[in-house]
Amino acid sequence: MKNYGKAWVILIVVLITLLVVGLGIFRWYINGYNKAVNLEQNVEKTWSDIDAVLQRRADLVPNLVKTVEGYAEHEKGLFENIAKSREKYFQAGNRAEKIEASNELGGFLSRLLMLQERYPELKANENFLSLQAQLEGTENRISVARTRYNEAAKQLNSYYRQFFGSFFCKRAGVKPVEYFEATEQAQTEVPQVEF
Amino acid sequence: MPLFSRKNVVQLLIILAIATAVLAQADLPVPRHYVEDHANVINASDEQALNGILQELEQKTGAQYIILTVQTTGGLPIEQFAIELAERWKLGQKGKDNGMLFVLAKADKKWRFEVGYGLEGFITDHYCDRIGRKVLTPYLQRGEYSKGIYEANLQIIKTIATEAGVTLTGMPEIKSVPVRDRRRSLPCCSILFLLIFIFLLFGGFGGRMMGWWFFLPFMFGGFGSPGGYGRSGSFGGGSFGGGFGGFGGGMGGGFGGGGASGGW
Repeated sequence: MKNYGKAWVILIVVLITLLVVGLGIFRWYINGYNKAVNLEQNVEKTWSDIDAVLQRRADLVPNLVKTVEGYAEHEKGLFENIAKSREKYFQAGNRAEKIEASNELGGFLSRLLMLQERYPELKANENFLSLQAQLEGTENRISVARTRYNEAAKQLNSYYRQFFGSFFCKRAGVKPVEYFEATEQAQTEVPQVEF
Repeated sequence: MPLFSRKNVVQLLIILAIATAVLAQADLPVPRHYVEDHANVINASDEQALNGILQELEQKTGAQYIILTVQTTGGLPIEQFAIELAERWKLGQKGKDNGMLFVLAKADKKWRFEVGYGLEGFITDHYCDRIGRKVLTPYLQRGEYSKGIYEANLQIIKTIATEAGVTLTGMPEIKSVPVRDRRRSLPCCSILFLLIFIFLLFGGFGGRMMGWWFFLPFMFGGFGSPGGYGRSGSFGGGSFGGGFGGFGGGMGGGFGGGGASGGW
């Protein structure tokens, strides 16, 4: 009779232990899974912010080009390049293409702004100054949004590379994402305008 | 042992990386006053006046507006410096995102208006740029930092208050820089409309002696001659003597890099 009771106690203890461990594993699983989902959501959200400001810049371009064109007739090549890379931006199918096209567009646009050194009358044009302020503001928003996106991408990517992180990411169907690098090219190219 | 052994170079690189990582961060404690004059360029009366107006602005509209001067941003672009501080301090209310930060770096000769998401609709980049170029920069070029900071920020404070539909009792009368470009012909139009209005009114009253002089103040007072942006007297000195609460800390507002910056 005594032994019988002992067996019961052991059984109950084992069951409770199993239950606790099971609950622990369950919670761990849910947390890990949710983390993967949340990190991806964050990446998506920050990317949509980037998308909005990139769109805003692309919308500014025609007006800006039109204003500058009146002063700088000899810069046809640059205007064509701007039109081409804007087109490329709109046609970009995936994130990588979009990043590349917008970096290219950014490089050409800063060259466009530099034309005011060559055509000083531009600086007196209130319309140009307004568009310049808006473009600079947009560029600044892009760089802020880019920093936030890269931060979110870094969190997701490093989670993906962790031992259990990759397991949860695969379960949740989350893939690592590419960073938005401001290409060195786009930045260093700018001052070397062939004046 | 060669000086430029791989190990040495690697160590040096690591040290450099850490040093720049430490340096390249805008880090200032949360402000305790609306005006944080670290570069010591704002005179006492302007500082007191701005502190009073900014406190009233926060009480009436919820907008948190900090004016910061520093000697230098420590090699950071002022845009990055400003956004990092604005984010760290969480200026503005959560959800309304009505924070605003003005930064002037004296030795770098740079200024920036950093505008919270919620204010971007009417404190546009272009507006900030114009206030910066037309109001602020001329004073800075003459070395009148205090006056420049005072005049320029009053413009924006006033716009925020007007947009929120409140009047600030501490606000001196200033000639506003228009938020948007107005067409030159506007005063003409208004006068024309006013004349039509008067005629209609006279018609309506059937020639009753409704004094014309009644409208004189509107006609001449209303459209003052366009002049400078100076403050025109009537600044109630001493009306806010002592006892400001100071700045109570950010409320979780968000920034997205809106605003404008420039140099002198």
